[in-house]
Amino acid sequence: MKATSILQQCDPRFKLLGLGALVLAFAMINDLRLVPLILLTTFILWSLSGLSPAFILRRLRYPSLLLVLLLLGLPLAVGDQAWLVWGPLTIYQEGLAAAVLIGGRFLGIFLSALILLNTSPLTTNIKAMRALGLPWIMVDLALLVLRYLQVIGQDYRQMRTAMRARGFRGDKLGPRQLQTIAWLTGSLLVRSYERSDWIYRAMRLRGYGQKVKQPHSFQARRLDFLMLGLILAVSLLITGLSLPLKFTS
Amino acid sequence: MHIADGILSLPVAAGGFGTAGVTAWYCLERIKRAGDPREQIPRAALLTAAFFVASLIHIPLPPAGVHLVLNGLLGILLGWFAFPAIMVGLFFQAVMFGHGGLTALGVNALILGLPALLAGWFFRLGRQPTESPGRSGWRGALAGSGATGGSLLLFIIFLLVGLPADYSQEAARVAITMLTVAHLPLIIIEGTVAGLLVAFLQRVKPSILQVYGS
Repeated sequence: MKATSILQQCDPRFKLLGLGALVLAFAMINDLRLVPLILLTTFILWSLSGLSPAFILRRLRYPSLLLVLLLLGLPLAVGDQAWLVWGPLTIYQEGLAAAVLIGGRFLGIFLSALILLNTSPLTTNIKAMRALGLPWIMVDLALLVLRYLQVIGQDYRQMRTAMRARGFRGDKLGPRQLQTIAWLTGSLLVRSYERSDWIYRAMRLRGYGQKVKQPHSFQARRLDFLMLGLILAVSLLITGLSLPLKFTS
Repeated sequence: MHIADGILSLPVAAGGFGTAGVTAWYCLERIKRAGDPREQIPRAALLTAAFFVASLIHIPLPPAGVHLVLNGLLGILLGWFAFPAIMVGLFFQAVMFGHGGLTALGVNALILGLPALLAGWFFRLGRQPTESPGRSGWRGALAGSGATGGSLLLFIIFLLVGLPADYSQEAARVAITMLTVAHLPLIIIEGTVAGLLVAFLQRVKPSILQVYGS
């Protein structure tokens, strides 16, 4: 990825630390009046990211089923004070406020993570986590999963095409379909298992497992400290504002 | 069975992270105790990637459809690696597709990971490596169904505990009831697929069921 925006130039370790502080502060918010501040912070982050609006909107297509149920159900089911009555439907003030709060927190956390994690390649982020102390087994596992997801995904698509060519219809649910799905998954697992043997041997030949400590290549600059300082200041501000609001509301 | 960002209260999300961290640390210690983990990592990683791909298979269950969770099978095939593998998978799902969430990662890891570890333990309990595919299949079916049922139970518990009290009474109860009803068929489907799959593996490649079994 060619670094063109400010966030793309930042050290991923500092971005991860900043993200941690920011999502913690957003998760603490329990007052509706702070939702615009969350959204403003997220908007500023996006403007520094160089990511297109289309990319962000594409990722927002798959909200959780639970989230949708809560956002739609809360205004209709929770509260005493009617905000809007439309035929048999009554939208309650308290429920609407709760839905806006949950939605605002979700958008703030989800978009901040999306922006800060997508301004560096995923492999770089995983290496940055290693530099921040993530156990090496988790790091190796994550890097290898990421490396072979594409390969196994391609295997799956090929097998699926072969099944369709032999007349398999995936739009029905019955014992036969479940058996086919189980055998397809089983074949995928056997292939992956067999492939892992020669991958391990190839990795050993290239020195995997030798106790040579590789230093990471991250280097913090003034911009990184400045960016982290700003994010920490915003996080502290949000935390500071949400604490008294929690007690007074 | 994912909890998204912004739903859980901070103490529950933070507690989930802490407990998931301790569980992952314990699993890693058990993996290290069993010998050089480097030899096991490529196998665990490729099986994890295969599970990740398999969980994207769409099962046409009316009205819309479901995706398999397969956490019971992960426990059966990966043993102690199942919990770290689930954490890695959940992280990728959150970052790549926006499913689940970063603040709920710990809670989601516990929801899927603890039943996976239990399913793996149950599957290996008194099992002979040479037993018939049919018998292994029944064990797999029980472990697969049990893991999904356990995950559903934990999912409901975390929602009841994690939703702020002022609006958890009415709407949350409705949402939880709807989600429970929607997930019940998945328990049966998961058990069926797990049973058929374990029987298939016992017939075709029995060694795959013993790799992380010790």
